[in-house]
Amino acid sequence: MTGPQHPGDASEHYVDPAPFNPHVTRELTAEQERYFQASQWQIMWWKFRRHRVAVWSAVVLILFYLCVPFAEVIAPYEANTRDSKFLFAPPQGVHLFHEGSLRTPFVYPMKAKIDMNTLQWTYQQDRSKPMPLRFFCSGDKYEFWGLFKADFHLVCPPKGGSFYLLGTDRLGRDQFSGLIYGARLSLTVGLVGVAISILLGLFFGGIAGYFGGIVDSLIQRLIEIMRSLPELPLWMALSAALPVTWNPVWIYFGITVILGLLDWPGLARAVRSKLLSLREEEYAQAAMLMGAKPSRVISKHLLPGFTSHIIASATLSIPGMILGETALSFLNLGLRRPSVSWGVMLNEAQNISVVTIYPWLMAPVIPIIIVVLAFNFLGDGLRDAADPYK
Amino acid sequence: MKLRMALGLPALVLAGLFGAQALALDLKETPGLEALGYTGLPPVAERVPSDPLVVDLEAQGRKIGSVGGTINTLIGRARDVRLINVWGYARLVGYNDKLELVPDLLKDVTVEEGRIFTLSLRKGHKWSDGAPFTAEDFRYFFEDVVSDPDLTPSGLPPFLLAGGKGPTFEVIDETTVRYSWDQPNPLFLAELALSRPPFIYRPAHYLKQFHAKYGDPAVIAKGVEAQKVRGWAPLHNKLDDMYNAMNPDLPSLQPWIRRTADSDQRFVLVRNPFYHRVDPAGQQLPYVDKVIMTVADGKLIPAKTQAGEVELQARNLSFSDITVLKQGEAQHGYRTLLWPNSKGSEISLLPNLTVKDPVWRELLRDTRFRRALSLGIDRDMINNVLYFGLGQAGNDTVLSMSPLFKDEYKTLWAEHDIEKANALLDEIGLSKRRGDGIRLLPDGRPLEIIIETNGESQTEVDALELVAETWKEIGVKLFAKPSQRDVIRDRAMAGELVMSVSTGFENGIPTADMPPTDYVPARGDQLTWPTWGDYLETAGKGGEKPDWAPAARLSELYQGWFTAADTSARETIWQEILQIHADETIHIGLVSEVPQPVVVKGLENVPDEAIYGWDPGAQFGIHRMDEFWLSSAAK
Repeated sequence: MTGPQHPGDASEHYVDPAPFNPHVTRELTAEQERYFQASQWQIMWWKFRRHRVAVWSAVVLILFYLCVPFAEVIAPYEANTRDSKFLFAPPQGVHLFHEGSLRTPFVYPMKAKIDMNTLQWTYQQDRSKPMPLRFFCSGDKYEFWGLFKADFHLVCPPKGGSFYLLGTDRLGRDQFSGLIYGARLSLTVGLVGVAISILLGLFFGGIAGYFGGIVDSLIQRLIEIMRSLPELPLWMALSAALPVTWNPVWIYFGITVILGLLDWPGLARAVRSKLLSLREEEYAQAAMLMGAKPSRVISKHLLPGFTSHIIASATLSIPGMILGETALSFLNLGLRRPSVSWGVMLNEAQNISVVTIYPWLMAPVIPIIIVVLAFNFLGDGLRDAADPYK
Repeated sequence: MKLRMALGLPALVLAGLFGAQALALDLKETPGLEALGYTGLPPVAERVPSDPLVVDLEAQGRKIGSVGGTINTLIGRARDVRLINVWGYARLVGYNDKLELVPDLLKDVTVEEGRIFTLSLRKGHKWSDGAPFTAEDFRYFFEDVVSDPDLTPSGLPPFLLAGGKGPTFEVIDETTVRYSWDQPNPLFLAELALSRPPFIYRPAHYLKQFHAKYGDPAVIAKGVEAQKVRGWAPLHNKLDDMYNAMNPDLPSLQPWIRRTADSDQRFVLVRNPFYHRVDPAGQQLPYVDKVIMTVADGKLIPAKTQAGEVELQARNLSFSDITVLKQGEAQHGYRTLLWPNSKGSEISLLPNLTVKDPVWRELLRDTRFRRALSLGIDRDMINNVLYFGLGQAGNDTVLSMSPLFKDEYKTLWAEHDIEKANALLDEIGLSKRRGDGIRLLPDGRPLEIIIETNGESQTEVDALELVAETWKEIGVKLFAKPSQRDVIRDRAMAGELVMSVSTGFENGIPTADMPPTDYVPARGDQLTWPTWGDYLETAGKGGEKPDWAPAARLSELYQGWFTAADTSARETIWQEILQIHADETIHIGLVSEVPQPVVVKGLENVPDEAIYGWDPGAQFGIHRMDEFWLSSAAK
């Protein structure tokens, strides 16, 4: 290409005196070559890779999500295993050096005592007797994925000893194991709700925006009705009506599904308005004139135009769901023991004054902050990457 | 601490001791009355009765204090201001710290045949506005309030009835009145000593102006309009409530009174300059000038207490706050006393014997089933995990401080014995089990017990979790359902409640002369037998007649208690009631005598070891809060 012409550059037509040679093209560097030949997805990946924070967030999230299938194996204890000898035990450090010599990771045994003056559990470490942790060992029994019984753990407490990496709560339950098991519920159950709300939002927003007219009006009115439903009384009524003997995980799962069913109007409206403008674009008109079916026009030509928006709203609503779990627990609607989630653990650590004495009870705050932040950064990176041609 | 309860009703003659001391007393004027807003008061000798109650501080190991200062305390809601009338605990007769019934406002009581009660007032005793407190105030209550169909449409309250009939009331002279019934009325004096007593005396000189029989119609009409009520009777009822401390104009006999109704967030209660008790040095009680009650959110009260904002606090503090409170002691200069709670049990599982579901009803009424559930609980473990082992693991029954206590009541069927429990359940015929080991009911449903809690106490939920753990071993699945107090009560009445968890018997330290109301079907709000309780409460108009032998026997014994001739007969009745409870395991109690934290800052004469309870006890009441005083550093 030579001498680009800009409208308004000159008042007169400028004609290049040299003859036009169609075989002369600009030399592309190898880099540019690769770029222009790459598929959309490849470009998105390159672009995403350049967003360092997003990449690290993705790594962190993958690590967290690894806990989901393998919680039983990673956690040294079962989530509800109680040890009456260690109530409010402080975090038990893992050591490598004993009296100056390197050893396999070990812990020092602790002994509990009640301080009758302060009415507080105090723990004394016995520094003379290092107890090596066991790795790839058998410990608490569990039913893996509800399929078969097993007792294999990555790490187990030493024989006759204890291993409370993040301390224990008031009933002597291991906080670290609780966090691992809690990740399973906290990180997954909300995803379903988000998925449902996005699918519904895309579907209703898509047909409303594409067809317009009566379909649009109907869907708009439906959205208005949905928006006017008071949610809080609904939850209260549900919490009173649902039988307590049901598995709380399923109850919570059901609630997130309902949340998803109620949550789509916001996204649907955004999709609709975007579609209304995109369908007037020439490429969309061309596709329609060439006889493409509405579903093809919407999914192939229109939707990719605002993938970035969808990705952003999806990644932002996942942390919303995670935080929402904690809120629902206040209405006795969220999860309950024996199910463990970060929200359940945090709810149990509500008493501010106890936390001043036993600060490790606040441990679930840290993974929640990390996961919510990671999802936000990841969403940021994905949104930038999803518009590769900008 | 072993309490001595020697006193029988016919022998209320202790008062004589006090009269003799009074003669030699040299009364001292209370300093600082002007600063409290009192002007033009007569001298102290004319304010206290001519024979005041001289408290014997030495006998209780207490010290003579100095007058003045303020006690700050926190309450969870505005209407708790009425606690001032509980803590003050000036009663006609009241319990002392040994749970003996002694005259207090009264100079003396004599009881003949358990049915004729002669009450003698103190000469020169005055209301908090300076008007004399006389027999007329008793007459006014009996003839013009409780016998007036407009003011008391429901008729005489139960404690004024013996064998269904009211008393004959006589005014003997200015300071003596007599109530005589045809039959013994053991409830009468016990009722007068309650935390919330039926005030059988009212300030006639003040209330007559609002009474249709005496008052000026114009004044009444004005009052009706100002209070926005429908007639003179509601107006009178609203203004004469001696308990709720809502009417600052109503004269009182309590140690602290409310003089202005200015705020509903902060209540200032100032000393009553006409109070009838003095210390051996001639200083008029109460020692403390003011009690200031500040309303704070219940959840913040432990934190505010820990920050040293109060001089005296027990309300809204619970066992789980003790560790935090102990932490703040050194920094904020208070002490945390641990007073064992006087309830029958801190946590008690209450099977609803009148549940509608026929399968559950039969099962819950099966003694073996309740015994098995009780045997399936590891009470020592619960005590250690939840209460540092400071409580007493055992049944919900009277505490060892009560003279009625027998070891058996506490321990029968209360040991942890899974084998025996399983054997009992198999014997009932619950031997079929589900895949996960949970037993099946006769109709094929799993044996899942839903225990409803009022959701106010995390400890209760924790206890249920510990119970669930051991119940699993006997094939019983437990679900804890958080709910609300009122919802549970309604569901109990409707027969939908299967089991609930609550605190145990309110009065864990009864003497034979206290009515066994808690322990028998007597009230509709008892969650073990709401419909039977309702039947007795409404005299057969509501509820159902007890159709379960032990309950029928309990109601019989309750009736028997009222007609029993003397204390020893009443004690026999009490023992049989307690034996039935122990044998039948009607309440499944877990842990009792759990300490209640009481935070005290700079206050003297507060006992280190004491009980904490409502009835009997009145919280600080029987420990005589009017004898507490502030050390000079705290003033």
